[in-house]
Amino acid sequence: MLDTKNHEALVGDQFGARANAYLTSAVHAQGRDLEALVALAGNHRNARVLDLGCGGGHVAFNVAPHVREVVAYDLSTEMLDVVAGAAKERGLTNLKTQQGVVENLPFADGSFDLVLSRYSAHHWRDFDAALREAARVLKPGGIAGFVDSVAPPTPLLDTYYQTIEMLRDCSHVRSYSRAEWETAMARAGFLPQVSVQFRVHLVFNVWIERMRTPKVQVDAIRALQTSVATSVTRYFETESDGSFAIDVALFQAVKG
Amino acid sequence: MTTSDSPADSVDPKLLEILVCPVTKGPLEYDAARQELISRAARLAYPIRDGIPIMLPEEARRLD
Repeated sequence: MLDTKNHEALVGDQFGARANAYLTSAVHAQGRDLEALVALAGNHRNARVLDLGCGGGHVAFNVAPHVREVVAYDLSTEMLDVVAGAAKERGLTNLKTQQGVVENLPFADGSFDLVLSRYSAHHWRDFDAALREAARVLKPGGIAGFVDSVAPPTPLLDTYYQTIEMLRDCSHVRSYSRAEWETAMARAGFLPQVSVQFRVHLVFNVWIERMRTPKVQVDAIRALQTSVATSVTRYFETESDGSFAIDVALFQAVKG
Repeated sequence: MTTSDSPADSVDPKLLEILVCPVTKGPLEYDAARQELISRAARLAYPIRDGIPIMLPEEARRLD
């Protein structure tokens, strides 16, 4: 008999059990994309900032020293406990945590000067609803900065990438392409500004262990990696141990 | 769970200023004794666990 479980429960289970792994993950704790996102907050000392889908809290930790207040928001209370504990250790007294879903934010209209989000959007059940909510809680003229892995530009590469991501983590929904991001942001009431693309190298074993991917799915990823067209392995710079590289982008927008 | 006044167990007042009901986007009343945030319009009481308001309608207590 199949259990019935909704997507939010799946995301909560996947991440709740792995909260500490995300706190210590090098891919999550550092990177040029993180630096670029944090730089958005640089000139906003008086800002109240929302870290949407905060995960291990790295955006919130890095932004908190530069702004008035950061609210780290996530579906997983286990993740938020880890974030609150780490914030206390680091003396970040202006970092608050709040639990909830991205599609229905429990914040009043115009509550925030900045909404930042990193490596979260590919888990959102309803991308459009979440972006609309992000726009709603921003003040007019407020700035949004979204960082996520982006789908490659051709259907074959796109399908391959979504497949290995979902095999690794069943709470993966979709990594959107740059074009999808830009049109979705516009639909949600944002004026897209700049976007910057990065290349991020993923060490296979670390990537798999962080999510505790079941062996049958790890084997399927490895099988796919070695059976796809050379154009695919070349695009992702797939190495013999399964390590590979992905495209990550920062999308910056202003609430119109 | 205790109802102590330690910072870890109480909702941050600055957070309370901006929190609304996720369903109606209307105001919430803080019930310190029951550790709940009440949305009169949605007739829901959201629980506060370990100082974290759980803003999910399916986790909320229905008000009759």
